Amino acid sequence: MANYIVPNDLRYTKTHEWAKDLGGNKFRIGITDYAAKHIGDVTYVELPHIDDELDKDEPGCVIETVKSSEDVYNSIGGTVVLENGDILNENPEIINSDPYGEGWLYEIKAKSADDFKALMSREEYEKLLEELGD
Amino acid sequence: MNKTPLFDTHRDLGATIGDFGGWSMPLWYKTGQLKEHIATREACGIFDICHMGEFIVTGKDTLAFWNRLLSNAITAMVDGQAMYNFMLNEEGGVVDDCILYRFSATHWMLVVNAGTQDGDLAWLKKHQSGDVKIENIGPATGKLDLQGPTAPKVVAKLVGKEKLAELKFFRFIPEIVLGGVKCLLSRTGYTGEVGFEIYCPINETKKLWDALMSAGAEFGITPAGLGARDTLRLEAGLPLHGHEIGPTLPAVGTPWEFAINYDHEFIGKAALLANRGKYFVYPVIVEGRRKPGSHAHAVVGGKECGEVTSDILAVSLDKKPAGFIRTTCELKSGDALTLKNAQGAEFAAKVMDNPLWKGTSRKKMDSFL
Repeated sequence: MANYIVPNDLRYTKTHEWAKDLGGNKFRIGITDYAAKHIGDVTYVELPHIDDELDKDEPGCVIETVKSSEDVYNSIGGTVVLENGDILNENPEIINSDPYGEGWLYEIKAKSADDFKALMSREEYEKLLEELGD
Repeated sequence: MNKTPLFDTHRDLGATIGDFGGWSMPLWYKTGQLKEHIATREACGIFDICHMGEFIVTGKDTLAFWNRLLSNAITAMVDGQAMYNFMLNEEGGVVDDCILYRFSATHWMLVVNAGTQDGDLAWLKKHQSGDVKIENIGPATGKLDLQGPTAPKVVAKLVGKEKLAELKFFRFIPEIVLGGVKCLLSRTGYTGEVGFEIYCPINETKKLWDALMSAGAEFGITPAGLGARDTLRLEAGLPLHGHEIGPTLPAVGTPWEFAINYDHEFIGKAALLANRGKYFVYPVIVEGRRKPGSHAHAVVGGKECGEVTSDILAVSLDKKPAGFIRTTCELKSGDALTLKNAQGAEFAAKVMDNPLWKGTSRKKMDSFL
């Protein structure tokens, strides 16, 4: 049984993204440890641009791995206010080693706080991982 | 799902496990696919390939049997030689690609892909005639691949340099003891680098793995998963069954025509001749950092003429996106084309020479010892 890190202070999606409440209706977005271990080595990230308007559940960015291209679904509708290109353009594989820290993707100013509240809690996400049997 | 005797070993090494041809296999370890790929190019990768199938075929009519079923120049083989072959259907499609080992004119081993082995056995039995006996030794056989420029040193540490020095590309030693395990040692592989495919009794696979890992510690031996195996074979210009080749794809116009010898009569020959000039396979490099995706359409001069069959990174070529395309139009190295994926995104690409990467596979053995 593989062990995955699931921090307590984040909320999660069924498609293995996380969101962190930064206050002031701003949220930081990334992918989970489970996702990072399953997609393999990340080689490139196509990030959204600052001021991009992203709807809930539309692809927010693309992660290229050795084998595949993975869409990252934006879980909180709003406007992109920051992206992590400074780190990820130089060192995309940090997503594999530190998905909750330096491997974050972008920050979004939410239209409404409801999208964040609707995401899964740590307990709910851990239950999902258990159901995936891995 | 089938498991190899090394399943727990892979888990202990932090492997991400995936399904391949009905087998739970390591895709990559904690090391990561990129590092496993590079370790194989620069030092030595060790791969668990127990999932592949092996058949022993014996009898005085075996040479005629192989000449009917396989595409390459089998009559010219000598004892101790291995040869890459296509096993074709009547339509010229590839039932499987395989390696035939000749122990003697009446004793052979055929090594086939994991996902196709049941169908292969049925195909062999369907065409069995005269004095030809077929034994499926797959379930009793373990297989480890040791690939990369330090692989000869690892094996030499266990058996001495003398035993290896004369071993040429696509030749094998039928019986040799490695770390107390009786093995067949074949100088073949799927990475483009010098190395070995090693066959042993299935219940001694772990003992062999441990012996190689221990002998290889000073030579940079690195467990590598099927992910790295895929990027290595793509760069080495080798096909993956079900992608570049398969039962519904006539095996003409590919970079692997060398495995077809038209001087003998074999199943599928007429269809190959009839399809000459109609199908082609080429390696391509894609511009930029994004991959178009498997099955993206190949567009040449505004006309759609094929699709992407493999779509991965050429790790050793500055991590450029690369792959193979199958087309109905003839292209040449350097030709520009566009790859258009299901989302409508377009990618500029260029036809390359095969292989993309020229490794150490054909170099003289003694230069590695």
